[in-house]
Order: sequence, then C-alpha cells, then structure tokens
Amino acid sequence: MNTLLSRYFGILLLVLSFTACEEKPLEPIVISAEDFHTSVNNVTEVMIHDIFSPPQASRIYAYPNVAAYEILASTRSEYNSLATQLTDFTTIPEPATTENLNYELAALVAHMDLSRRLVFSEDMITPYRDSLYQLWNTKNEKEYTTSKAYGLTVADHVAAWMDKDLYKETRTMPKFSVITDDPSRWQPTPPAYADGIEPHWNKIRPFVIDSAAQFKPVPPPAFSMDESSNFYKELKEVYDISESITKQGDNAEEIAIAQFWDCNPYVSVTRGHLMFATKKITPGAHWIGIAKIASRNAGHDPMQTMYTYTKTSIAIADAFISCWDEKYRSNLVRPETLINEHFNDSWQPILQTPPFPEYVSGHSVVSGAASEALTSIFGDGFSFVDDTELPYGLPVRSFSSFRAAASEAAISRLYGGIHYRAAVDNGLVQGKNIGRFINASLKMKINNAQASN
Amino acid sequence: MLAIRNILFLSIFFILFGCKEKDTLFKNPSAADTGLTFENTLTESDDFNIIDYLYFYNGGGLAIGDINGDNLPDIFISGNQVKNKLYLNKGNLQFEDISVQARIRGNSTWNTGAVMGDVNGDGLLDIYVCAVVGINGFDGHNELYINNGDETFTESAAKYGLDLDTYSSNAAFLDYDLDGDLDVYILNHAVHTQDSYGKSSLRFKRNYETGDRLMRNDGGKFTDVSEEAGILGGINSYGLGIAIADFNQDGWPDIYIGNDFHEDDYYYLNTGEGSFRESLKDYFGHTSRFSMGSDVADINGDGWPDMISLDMLPEDEKVLKSSEGDDNIQTQKLRIDRFGYHYQFTRNMLYVNQKGYDYQETALLSGIAATDWSWSALFADFDQDSSQDLFISNGIPKRPNDLDYIRFISSEQIQNKISNTKLIDQKALDLMPKGNTHNYIFKGKGKLAFEDLSGTWTKKDTLVSGATALADLDNDGDLDIVTNNINTTPQVYQNTTDASANYLKIRFDYKPSNRFGIGTKVFAYNKGQLQYKELYTVRGFQASSEPILHFGFGNETTIDYIKIVWPDRTAQTLMDVPVNQTLTISPKGNIPFDYKSLQPTQKSLFKKVADNLGIDFTHTEDPYIDFNRQKLIPYQVSDRGPAVAIGDLNGDQKDDIYFGSSKFIASKIYLRDSTGFTEASYPSITKENSTEDVVATIQDFNQDGRADLFIGTGGADFSKRSKPLKDVYFTAQDTTFVQQQLPESFQNASVLAVHDYDNDGDLDVFVGNQAIANDFGRPSESVLLRNDNGTFTIDTSTSFDNIGMLTDAVWSDFNGDGTKDLVLIGEWMMPQFYANTNGTLGKVTIMNTPLNGLWQAIAPFDMDADGDIDYILGNWGQNSKFVATPETPMYAYLDDFDDNGQSETIVATQKEGAYYPLVGLNDLGGQMTNLFKKYTSYQDFGGQTVEEIFGKKAISESTKLTVHTLQSGYLRNEGGRFTFVPFGENLQVAPIMAFETYDFDGDGKEEVLAAGNYFGVKPFHGRLDSFSGALIKSDGSSTLGHQLGLDLAQKSVRHLTILPLETKTYLLVTFNNDKAHVYQLQK
Repeated sequence: MNTLLSRYFGILLLVLSFTACEEKPLEPIVISAEDFHTSVNNVTEVMIHDIFSPPQASRIYAYPNVAAYEILASTRSEYNSLATQLTDFTTIPEPATTENLNYELAALVAHMDLSRRLVFSEDMITPYRDSLYQLWNTKNEKEYTTSKAYGLTVADHVAAWMDKDLYKETRTMPKFSVITDDPSRWQPTPPAYADGIEPHWNKIRPFVIDSAAQFKPVPPPAFSMDESSNFYKELKEVYDISESITKQGDNAEEIAIAQFWDCNPYVSVTRGHLMFATKKITPGAHWIGIAKIASRNAGHDPMQTMYTYTKTSIAIADAFISCWDEKYRSNLVRPETLINEHFNDSWQPILQTPPFPEYVSGHSVVSGAASEALTSIFGDGFSFVDDTELPYGLPVRSFSSFRAAASEAAISRLYGGIHYRAAVDNGLVQGKNIGRFINASLKMKINNAQASN
Repeated sequence: MLAIRNILFLSIFFILFGCKEKDTLFKNPSAADTGLTFENTLTESDDFNIIDYLYFYNGGGLAIGDINGDNLPDIFISGNQVKNKLYLNKGNLQFEDISVQARIRGNSTWNTGAVMGDVNGDGLLDIYVCAVVGINGFDGHNELYINNGDETFTESAAKYGLDLDTYSSNAAFLDYDLDGDLDVYILNHAVHTQDSYGKSSLRFKRNYETGDRLMRNDGGKFTDVSEEAGILGGINSYGLGIAIADFNQDGWPDIYIGNDFHEDDYYYLNTGEGSFRESLKDYFGHTSRFSMGSDVADINGDGWPDMISLDMLPEDEKVLKSSEGDDNIQTQKLRIDRFGYHYQFTRNMLYVNQKGYDYQETALLSGIAATDWSWSALFADFDQDSSQDLFISNGIPKRPNDLDYIRFISSEQIQNKISNTKLIDQKALDLMPKGNTHNYIFKGKGKLAFEDLSGTWTKKDTLVSGATALADLDNDGDLDIVTNNINTTPQVYQNTTDASANYLKIRFDYKPSNRFGIGTKVFAYNKGQLQYKELYTVRGFQASSEPILHFGFGNETTIDYIKIVWPDRTAQTLMDVPVNQTLTISPKGNIPFDYKSLQPTQKSLFKKVADNLGIDFTHTEDPYIDFNRQKLIPYQVSDRGPAVAIGDLNGDQKDDIYFGSSKFIASKIYLRDSTGFTEASYPSITKENSTEDVVATIQDFNQDGRADLFIGTGGADFSKRSKPLKDVYFTAQDTTFVQQQLPESFQNASVLAVHDYDNDGDLDVFVGNQAIANDFGRPSESVLLRNDNGTFTIDTSTSFDNIGMLTDAVWSDFNGDGTKDLVLIGEWMMPQFYANTNGTLGKVTIMNTPLNGLWQAIAPFDMDADGDIDYILGNWGQNSKFVATPETPMYAYLDDFDDNGQSETIVATQKEGAYYPLVGLNDLGGQMTNLFKKYTSYQDFGGQTVEEIFGKKAISESTKLTVHTLQSGYLRNEGGRFTFVPFGENLQVAPIMAFETYDFDGDGKEEVLAAGNYFGVKPFHGRLDSFSGALIKSDGSSTLGHQLGLDLAQKSVRHLTILPLETKTYLLVTFNNDKAHVYQLQK
C-alpha cells in the first residue's frame, strides 16, 4: 500500500512536471527595433494629449532615450557610454546578475518607465506596458523579471540625474513680465493672449553644450519703425509674403510648407463661447519622427535605433535651451502685434503665433541641430519621404537630405507669418552650430565612418 | 391623564404637520394643465450647430400683455426654428392657442426676442419679433404684428420701417425724445471674430448687421437716428442685454446695453437734446464681462434705479473648477492698456445707484454674483414684503467653456474628423457637458442683502430657461413668472403668496400715443419707507412683461401716498391708497414736476480745490506684479505706498509735504508758500533711487529744533538684505538733509508709529513691517527703535517677531493708566495690544474673542460716545471672493508642498462644510506639476477639497493662517476689554485702508473719515473699487463720501491727511497710482 501510494505519487509528480514543461516552454524574449519605435511613439501621443510645450517635450524625449541607450551600449563594444559625456551624468549601475538578463528588454523597460514618469497622463502608457509585461511574463518569467528589475534600476539612476536639471525649480520661478510700454518688446498674441511660456528654460541643465549662452546668436536687427530700417523691411516682408501667398490660396507651395511644419502643440480655436484646440506634434516631435523614418529605412537594429533617437533628442533638447535663452534675452515683438498695429488690424498669420518672444525661431534652431545630428549618422544626401504629419491631416513631403528639410522647416516660419527672416536665418545657423558641436563632442559610436559632415 | 392625552394628540398633530411636504412659494402647473404646449425645439445638425452660430443656444422670446382687453394677460412666445405662438388667457391659468387665427406664426428663419408695445398708438398692444438675418442662410426680417383689436394681427414691419434684416436679439420701447410717442431701440448682436480683441475703437465704425439702432417714431414711420443720437454700432457690439430707465433721474430715459465678450457695455445718458452720451467709464468702475440679460429696480428704497447685469459664473464647485475662468492679470492689462477696453469680470454685477455718482457694485456682498450661465434677471416683490426679490433664469444645453472639452476632448474628436469638411459633428457636441443648472430665486432682505431661496421658494429644476416675463396671470394680485425653455414647454411659476401679504397693482391710462404709460414713475411712500418703480416692459432678456407696476406692502392696509410722475414731467399724488386693488390711473390734476427735487440735497463738507494748492503730485506705481513671482498669493503687497508726511522741512514754521515714490522714481517735496505749495528739490531726498517709500514721518528726532525725515521702505520686490529695504533717516542741517545711520533691519515697512514710550524726552519709532518679499504670509520682524539723542537702537526687550503681516500701529492708552500703549494690526492676525509700563511693553490679551482679519487701518475713537476709547478697524470688506466668519474662517496654508525649495500659498474658503482652494488646477498645477499627474482632467479636480488635493497630512503639517472676519467695524471698549462690532453693509463694499480723525462738520465733536479701495488682486476677485469713503460719527451713523463732496470711488486711497493752513483747513488725499487731491473743508 505504501509503495503503491508512493509509486502513484511518483508518477503523478512526473506527469505534473512534464505538463508544466509543456505549458511553459522557455522562450527567449525578442525585442525588435519596432518595439522601441512604438515606445517613442507612445510618448509622442501622450505629449499631444497632455499639451506639453515644445521645450518641455524636448526634455521628455531625451531622458528615456538616454536610459535605453546606456543599457544597450553597455554590452556593445562599438558604442560608448554617455556617462561623463553628458553634464553630471554618471555610469549606470551594473546589473545584479547577467544570468537571464535581456539587455534590450531592460532598455525598453527603462524607456517606458522614464516616459511614464515624465508625462502627466500615465494611464495612456501603463496599459500598453502592462500588456507587454504580461506577455513577457508568460513567455519567460525569469528573463522578464531579471531584465525588468535591471531596467527599473537604470531608470531610477537616470531619474535621479534628471531630477537635478532644475526643471522642478523653474516651475515656481517668476512668470515672464510683459513690458507693455515698449513697442519693441514681446506682447501676448491672439487669440489666447497667453503668458510667455518657459521664461526660465535657459536655466535647465544642458546635455552637451556648456551653457545656454554658448551659441548665442547675433542680435536681431534693431527695432525701428523707420521705413528704411532693416527691421521695418523684415516686418514688411512678413506682411507682403503673407498677403501674396494668401492671394494664391491653399495651392500655394509656401502655404503647404508653412502648414506642414506648423508643429504647434496647441492651436486655440474660438467660436463665441465655444473653444477648442487643434493639437499637433511639436517641432522636436517632428524631428523624432524623421529619425524614426530614417532609422527604419536604414534597417536599424535596436542599438542603432536608440543611438539615432538618443543623439537626435539630445541635439533637440540642447537646441531648445539655447534658443530659449535668446528668446527671453532679446524679448522681441511678434510680427502679428506690429502688423495689426501698423498695417492691418484684422490681419492674421497663416499659422497661429505661439506664446513666446520672436527671436530666434525655435523651429529653425531645432531643425538645424537635429538635421546635423541625423546627418552625422546617416550621411548627407539621405533622402526620405516625410509622412510624420499624416495623422494630423497633412500630406507627405519628400526631401533630398536632412539639411534640405531643415532649411524648409526654417523658412516655413516666415511663410507662416510668425517670424522675421533674421530669426529664421540666424536660428538655422545657431542650430547647425549646436548640432555640429554635439557631433564633435559626443563619442557615442566608435569608428563612425559618417561622423564628419 | 387628560393632559397627557392632549399632549399626545398635539404631538401627533405636529408630527403630521411636520411631515407634510414643505410648500414652495411657487407652484409649477404642467403644460397639460395650462395649455401652454409650445416648445422651442432646437434642431442641431452637422451643418448647423453651436460651431456655425455662436448664439445657437440663446433661446426665443416671450412677451406678456393683455391683447384683447379682457384684463387677463396673454402670452406670446417665439422659438428660434419653430413658429411663434399666441396664447389667450382664459382665466384660472388656462390658455388657448390662437396662433393660427391671430396670424402671428412668423416667417423668419431664426427668431429671437419678442416684445409687446403699442407701436401705432391705438391703445392696443402690438407685438414685435426680432430675427437674426443674413448669416447661416437665415432669412426674413424683424416682424411687427399690429393688433387689429379682434384677436388678429397684421404683419406691418415694412410699413412702419421696422423690418430690419440684421442680427437682432431684442428691441425695447421708450420715448427717448419725450415727444409723446414710443421710439424703438433695436439691439443687434455681433459675430465678429473671437480670434483677437481688436481695438475698442471698432465700436465707432458703424456696421449694418451688428450695429444697434435707435428708431425714432415720426408719426407712424420709424426713422433710423442712430448716428445723430450717438448710438454706437460697431462690428464688435455683442448686444444681449438692454435696460431702459431714467438712471440719473433727470426725466429723460437712459439706456444700458450689455455686450457679450470683450466689448464694453454701453451706458447711454440722455442729453435731452435728441442724443445720448456714452458714459460707461465715468460711472462704472467695472462691469460684467460676458454680459447677458439685465434688470432695473430700486432695491434699497432710495428712489433711484439700481441694476443687475448677468454673466456666467458657476456656483457649484465642480462646474466652477472645470470651466474657463477669468483672465490672467497680464491679459487683462493688455486688453485695457493696449486695446482700450474697461475692467470686466466674469460674474453677475449689482450696480447700486448713488444718485448720479459712480455706481457701487455689490454683487459679491449681496450674494448674487454666481448663478451660472444666466440669461434673464427680474426684480419683483414676489412675497410682497416690500423688498425686491430676484429671479434669474439660466442654463445652456452644452457647456462650450468646459476645460476638459477645450483641452482634451475636442481635439481628439477634431483629429478623428479631420478628413471631413466640418470640424465637429454631433458626436463631438454630445461630449460637451450639460449646463442645465436650476433657475435661481433670491429673497430681498432689504437694502443690499439677498438670500438664495432656490429649492425653498421654487423647486430646483433641470430646465434650460432663457427669456422670462412677469405677469399676474391669475389676477390674484401677486406676480407669476413664465420662462421660455429650450426643447421643452414653458415653465409657469404660479405665485401662491395670495392673501398672505398685501399688494397694489397700478396700470396707466396715459395719452393715446403712449396709452400704457411707458416711462411713468411711481414713488410709493408708507411710514417713511419709499418704494420706487418706473414702467418699462422690456426687461430681463429677449422678453417683455405685463405693462403694470406691482408693489408689495406686507401687512400694511393703507399706503400713505403715492406720487405718479408722468413721462411729460408732470406729477400727481394719491393719498391714503388702500392695498389689494388694481388701480388704473390717468393724468388728473397733474402739475409740473421739478426733477431737481430728486437730486441729492446733502450739504457738502468737502470741496475739491481747483488748483490743488499747487500740489501736482501723481504717484506712479512701478509695473512689478507680485503674482508673476508668487503665483498663488491672494493679493499683492508691493503696492501699499506711497508715503506721505507733513511737517516743517525748511524751518519756516510752516508745514511742508513729503511724498514718497515707487522704486526708481523720484520722491517729491512741496514747500508751503504764500499761496499754497511749491515743489522743491532736496537732492539727498528727492533724487531718483531704488527705494519704494511706503510710509514716512517728519519729526524733530534729534531735538535740534529742526524737523527730520524718517522713511519706511518696502515694495516686496527686493529680498533678503537688499539695501532698498533698509529704512531711511535724514536729519536737517542748514538747508539740506543728511542721511543718518539706522540699525540693520531689512524689511518691507508698512507703518511708522512715533511716540516717546520711554518718557526720556525724545521721540521713539515703532517700525511695523508687513511681509517678507517672495515669502508671503511668513511673519517679518518689526522693531521698536529707541531714540537716544537722535540715534536709534533696537529695543530688544520686547519681541515683535511672529506677529503677522503688520499694516498699521497706533500708540494709544487702551488701559487708561495715563501712558500710551501700543496697538498693532495686520493681515491674517488679530489686533495685538502691548501695555506700556514705565517704558516696557508687555503683550496683553484684552479682546473677548480671537478675531483675525485682513486688518488695514486702525484709529482710536470714542465710537459710542461713552467717554472711553474704542478702536475703529478697517478690514477687507465683504465684497470680494474671500469669505470668512468666526465659524467658517478663511485659511491660507503655507508650505513647500512640492519640495522644490519654494513655498506655496494655498488660500481656501469654506463651502457647504468643506474647504476648497480659491484657484483652479491650472494655477495650482503650474506651481506643483505633480498635481497635473494626480488630476489628468478638470472633471477629476472639480469638487476636490484641499485635503483631497494635497493630502490631510500635508495640510495639517503646513503653516495655517486664519481670517475670522472680513468686516470692518470697531472694538468696543467694555471697561478695558474689547468686543468687535461690525459696521453696516455700506462700509463693507471694499477694503478700508485709511482713517483720519477730525471735527470735519464743525459740530464740536470729532468724526472719523474712512477711505479705501484696493486693486492689487487678480481678475478673479474683480476690482475692489466701490467705496467712496465715509464719515463715521460718534453716534454710530455714517455718510458715504460722495454725499459729502468727496470723489474717492474707483481710486485706491492710501492716506487721508488734515492740512491746516492759516485760515482754512484742507484734506489731502493720497492715492496709489493716481494724482493726490486736495479738498477744502467747508465748515
């Protein structure tokens, strides 16, 4: 009886263990480049919903990318860590164990976790994350658990660094005080007449540039309403171009260009008491979209993909810090304010004037910086079809190179009626200089054949 | 036993009685009962909805009057897209639809306001129906239905020249030129872009569709006289409200137009010469912003018309916090400074007529400021207790200003619909929250107070009600109410006051050309009480009421006398009029009426001096905005200057004047000369410098026979140990002043109180300080400076740290021991008493209850004429959004709630037992970003208490500041202990910031002159500008300043200073950010 029982149990155990093995075969978890694209795209989606301003958005992209990059690069001899290369950034912790550690999974976990921390509406990220967690857990619990733990550890490390970038402190810093009695100074613009956003963004810790003022552009043309002055001529040019292309109507190439690069996260629309907003991605998000297109076209693996995203987003983030430094230094009035006052009180720009001073053009600086970063990775003459704005009802546009796209993005602000030419031209120069500086400073990929352009 | 049984029986009786459902004052008979089955059904489509037409939800019109001469008021009602209806009153609240046979069904696509009036002077009420024409494919024109006298009508608008095809919202009848016939004002609305404000001067360029019209009746044909009559007609005139009244009691009807959005309202005063003078800014310190309906009545029984103008501020916390609120301060500044508009705020406004002086605006004080999306206001004495009550209709099917909709929902819908031609479809509209808040009814409590009795007098409904009219539908003497509702039948409010209180109804039988006596006034006097009414039927919103005047008289059975003043400026009087009847009065024995007799007769005590005695000082406040740095603080502290001090600066034994300045502006000195004062330069003092001079005193501190100057500096901009925060002390030497050392103290000074407290023969100074720059609410240190031969040292024997935000101090012998003691007051603190014992100050508690206020000024004064010293205290007043009582105090929680090294100030007030922050999620989240993570929608945030938002622990661990009362009043001395006695409501309309004690009226007794107003608040509060000052007598009575010749409303007073010159005495009034004024005392 005793033996019978034990034999019975023995068989039972054997059957059970076989069954268990059949139910949970150990399957390696494969993380593809697309998984990273999806995670980056999720960040874009939440930021549109939460209405992050362009400078804030640039920060939100950068930190998750850095975390993911660091984990991936730690196992790849041809990539360098960014520790000590980025201001105050230190080496990420070593994994507790490398057994069952999937670095790509850990990198994706870190990316999602930092993204979650940075946005407001976490519930737009967590369901997707949890579905992945569940899937991975089913596939390979050990690999999942180990990798997730490491990913979160690195996320904590990056978050601690991130928390010291003065973002939180700048929230309580003074609002920008509008100077109403100086005609050269920026005034809030229709229709929302919102306060100037992020007047202290130049205090945010930069990633690579040594200070917000390192790439200080030349000053804008001196304010003057004298018809022979350069400033007046540039103001008149904004008005004339706007009138001329408005006459041509929606078929005008300039209008198509302006709208394609609008990248305004919050266009306020008012109909009587009814108000609503049309939301789009930010300039930074547009270039992150281009990075995605290029990365996909080049058939990048996760490492290459995150290298591309990371470098591009760092360039964009530093570009915003540099640009915002100048905006609140020169504190220049927008064309809309002056045109309404001096030329035509019912004139409206083709694009809605965003709520911050004019000089220099943010899109120009950012496009300059991002295009240089991307050129360093993919080379000049990398042509692509840009479908980033399709979800926002805009057509695709094709470009022969990143630099060509950047030039078009810059001039779009003049066509859109929200910038003078100087802000566009000088902004693009400023951005390119930032991009080149970052290319030269950051040693991310060893023996990067295309580094020099 | 029997007794017990009786008690039992009684108990059962009471229980039964108590269980009976509480009766409301108004009953709501159903449409089935009344026959009023009309419905203003709105048909929305993808092609036509609130996106395409901004006033899609404004509703139809409603006019009540007896059209067939049976003395039963009939009801005409218009809908937007449906046909008009005319209901004949059959008595007993039964109505018969005679629309078809009456031929009034109408042909315009989109009808709006509907009003009754005798247009052709045949004694029969005609009907005028407005229409919006020319947008969205709207067709037709305003229609005029001339009454044929047989319950049929003939549309004759074109014949009379009233067939306007514009964007009309309403029309009103008035005889503006007093030629005896009725003219018409036609109110049009604008559809101008909301994308930008545009300059206010847009209103001077007439626009056909949107410009209002004044149509003069020229013998049966109406002529457009808008231009010559001075009526504005711009592209931005969003006219929704119209009120006609003789606002300035000169016998000529005036007009108030309420404009929606950023366009200012228009206040047209009739010149009596065929034209109007738009005078809004001269008489109104601020107005409602999204002005909708309005109404006029004399609410305080002074014989002058008062007015309410409606807006859309929600009362409910949840709705309030998820709706778009007031502008931020910089946007407001832009709209006013750059575009030329007036101060406008998003709430109802109650304008109390000051007999031709600037209106006193008291909606917050009166408790009627927030009635949500409000359309029609109607004053009437519904319970017939002799004070005017108030009904407000409101509601909107969808709230387009819902923040979640604006920021989150709309965009996602737009994104989904982007490929379609229309931006928003029905599905998107369905996502807007409903806005069908209950209609409000307020009981007038006499003078300025109202009590919300919605739910008691009326059942709380879920209707969307717009146009509303009054009539005694059942002829039982009390006034009933009818509302025109969207997508349902009209609501009848049947008044059940019936015989429980007495009434008097008056109808007029005036001249044929104005049979109903539009513009006739009735002054009803009874036992010293006056009720005043003027007959204009177009009231509220898009409606006209029954052409009668209705009075309530409580239990009075006979009215002493009523005076009727006809439009032709004649009057007649009826004596001993019995109540509970309907009088029909025709001109009889009428004699010319002298309108001058209505004008105020109070004798002036003050007369403005034309040349200001040569004092051309204008204080300019620097543009620093505290809210840009400390975004959550409840009010500013940087604007408490300027300093003013009187004394002999040049040693000629005559008083000179020192005026301090804001930072980076030079202060000024005026020396007394033979005719008045002349500006003089004392470079060491009057050079431009970085100090903000808030208080100053001129005294001989070093006892050299020459007066010295001590200046307390502040400004709350510079912080820590910034030099400009150090007070300044100059001594006179020959013809110049030399700066002397003061002990190190870097504070924002608010008061200098001078007294030789140690009795050593020289003058010591208590320096009271208000605030630490950038750290609102933290107590700053005040110091007592002991003077030893002209050198000051800090007397450290008494600590003045941690008292509060000091604003004023006075040396006064409160304990009657013969030595002056020190009394300190300030914000978020109670008055503090320091007894002086041989030069040592010791804090004593002599107030009977703790009473923290936002105290601004103190003056010792024997208020009750009992021989001891009481203390008059200026507080914040009760006319702002702050609310505090001893039982439900206002709190400010100070802490670094988000651990970023910067302290936040969260001000919270009590609503129905819980504490809510005054500001919304955008303001709080802008400072504490984690709140945006905690609340990802405004819906989630709305209705959250401070504990829920910040956590119980964080709230309990924070520093809590308290205010128990906002009332100004006085501390009554009761044998050395003090009890607070609040002043009446006239002295609670704004902060009281300054006192001066003097025998102003020359009666041998001293009075206290009080003045104030304060503008350092966010647009959320409005502008605390309605106090014209007051003279407070020792018998407890008070008279407002404008009745005594002072002009202090709409200006913010800092100092009142008596200026005795050789033969005459003057009053110097120093304002913040305005020119100082000199008045000569008339006694």
